[in-house]
Amino acid sequence: MQPTRMLPNRSRTSVLVFLLPPLLLYGAAVLFPILQSLFLSFFSWNGISDMEFVGLANYLRMFTGDDIFWRAFANALVYLAICLVLQLGGALVVASLLTSLRRGRELVKTLYLLPAVISTVAIAFLFVRIYSLEPVGLLNQLFAWVGLGGLERPWLSDVNTVLAAVSAPEGWRFTGLYMLIIYAALLAVPKELEEAAVLDGASRWTLFTKIRFPYIRPVWITTTIMATTYGLRGFDIPYLMTNGGPGQSSELLTTYMYKTAFTSTDFGYASTISVFIVVECLVAVGLILFLLKRKADA
Amino acid sequence: MTIQAAPPTRPPAVVPSRPAPRRRKRRPDLFHTLSRVLVMLIVIVQVYPLAWLFLTSLRSEHDFATGDPFALPGSLTWENYARAFETGNLGQNILNSFVVTMGANVLIVLLGMMAAYAIQVLGFRFSRLVRGLFLIGIIVPVQIALVPLFIDYSKVDLLDTYQSMIIPLAGFSLPMSVYLFSSFYEYIPKETYEAASLDGAGPYRIFGLITLPLSLNTVVTVVLVNSIFIWNDFIFANTFVLSEELKTIPLGLQNYIGAMGKVDWTATFAAVCVTITPLLLVFLVLNKAMIQGLESGATKG
Repeated sequence: MQPTRMLPNRSRTSVLVFLLPPLLLYGAAVLFPILQSLFLSFFSWNGISDMEFVGLANYLRMFTGDDIFWRAFANALVYLAICLVLQLGGALVVASLLTSLRRGRELVKTLYLLPAVISTVAIAFLFVRIYSLEPVGLLNQLFAWVGLGGLERPWLSDVNTVLAAVSAPEGWRFTGLYMLIIYAALLAVPKELEEAAVLDGASRWTLFTKIRFPYIRPVWITTTIMATTYGLRGFDIPYLMTNGGPGQSSELLTTYMYKTAFTSTDFGYASTISVFIVVECLVAVGLILFLLKRKADA
Repeated sequence: MTIQAAPPTRPPAVVPSRPAPRRRKRRPDLFHTLSRVLVMLIVIVQVYPLAWLFLTSLRSEHDFATGDPFALPGSLTWENYARAFETGNLGQNILNSFVVTMGANVLIVLLGMMAAYAIQVLGFRFSRLVRGLFLIGIIVPVQIALVPLFIDYSKVDLLDTYQSMIIPLAGFSLPMSVYLFSSFYEYIPKETYEAASLDGAGPYRIFGLITLPLSLNTVVTVVLVNSIFIWNDFIFANTFVLSEELKTIPLGLQNYIGAMGKVDWTATFAAVCVTITPLLLVFLVLNKAMIQGLESGATKG
């Protein structure tokens, strides 16, 4: 394909003048560090002594000899699943409901998006207090009121609940963002299509699965990719609320990588984990595109 | 043209036959009431924690520690706010966040425009490759840059500076900015440029006199969308900044966890309220523009 060229006469220098500064920053902050991580992942280095080339030893250790890594990987997948259900599921339900609302749509949109502008540190503080048992926090108090007192527990120190407890705030804070995007897409579904389907006797459910959802599929793919890559890079809230604990029960790959790098100062092995996280993101995006696109063609 | 007028509200016609007028009127109402209630419930879940945060910041320490967490404050007190300002460095933190957000935004807007101009307007052989390179930055997680940048910064003495936060924040936001600007530049008609070219304007003058002024709306979008993420950045600041004078808001808030993990909750909540106020105000005032920006960011990006 011929590249677009709107200006008939422009010099090669002018292209470089405009292109080099952005590429320089982007290269220094993003591209070069990726290559550096790849490079470092073949070394053993604590940041002070000489770097030692170890070949694939870090990768071998990660895949065969590191239980914490696998634990963190499994936790990261659960974390991702909870985030996706809350964010995409919640977003889709609310966006659909919102289209049938006659008044107050703008207000709901604004209120719903509110948590997205609040810093993760503030959210972590807030949820630590919501989950706490002693003194009693909002969640436990709520259970006590509705007669589910048996469910009261210290959510963040119970190994069975801590992972879900640190995932929920992340899901909670971005539902509004995805709702907004899906809602905008739903509004763009042509009214004639919907009306024709209704006249043909389509139920609300058929209307949704046969008309609305296929129509918003491209946007759905984008939001799924966004939510997935954001879920896989989730770090702040688990790190701040539990630092991966108790034990490793809320350790994610990202928090494990961070601790390996900056607590154990094992830069080589931390880079190996980073490389894995990048590959994981690329594979996830590839899978989403493959699955959702294929379904569209079927 | 259909003979029957389309009903204003869509009836949930499960039966293939057209619903009788009376049913059509009643059933949707039930559906609407239900969805209204559900939407309201969900909104409460979204907003109540924040309202609670604010109310708690006005309760006295003793009242909060002993009382029902849901209770409304018995008496309002501003003393938590006084304690919050005493404990921390809130003013300095807010100033630092402001500097970092401004610095990163200037880079993102300026460089994003330049890259988009080169890719979309000037055009060159490998423009598709460059576009692809920028896509990487949207997909890869920011954590990949932590270790390399930490090492690089310590070599060039950039650790513990404003730049150490601004560079990666701007770098990782640049791709979205490039995409937003170039999808806008697609809509500037070719004739505008051709006319200017005939008048003898070169690529620099055209950028300054035509493209830049036309981009102002997109600038607002780019700044609003990125500011949310940059203002709240925790991970880069936490990794690269140590000294108290450079701490941004998210780091400053951590100071409220005292020794032995003991937390002065009401003062902490007061501090949280102070720190979320600037962005919250911007959001509430500009929420139309911000919402539009977030929508277009996802659908075009």
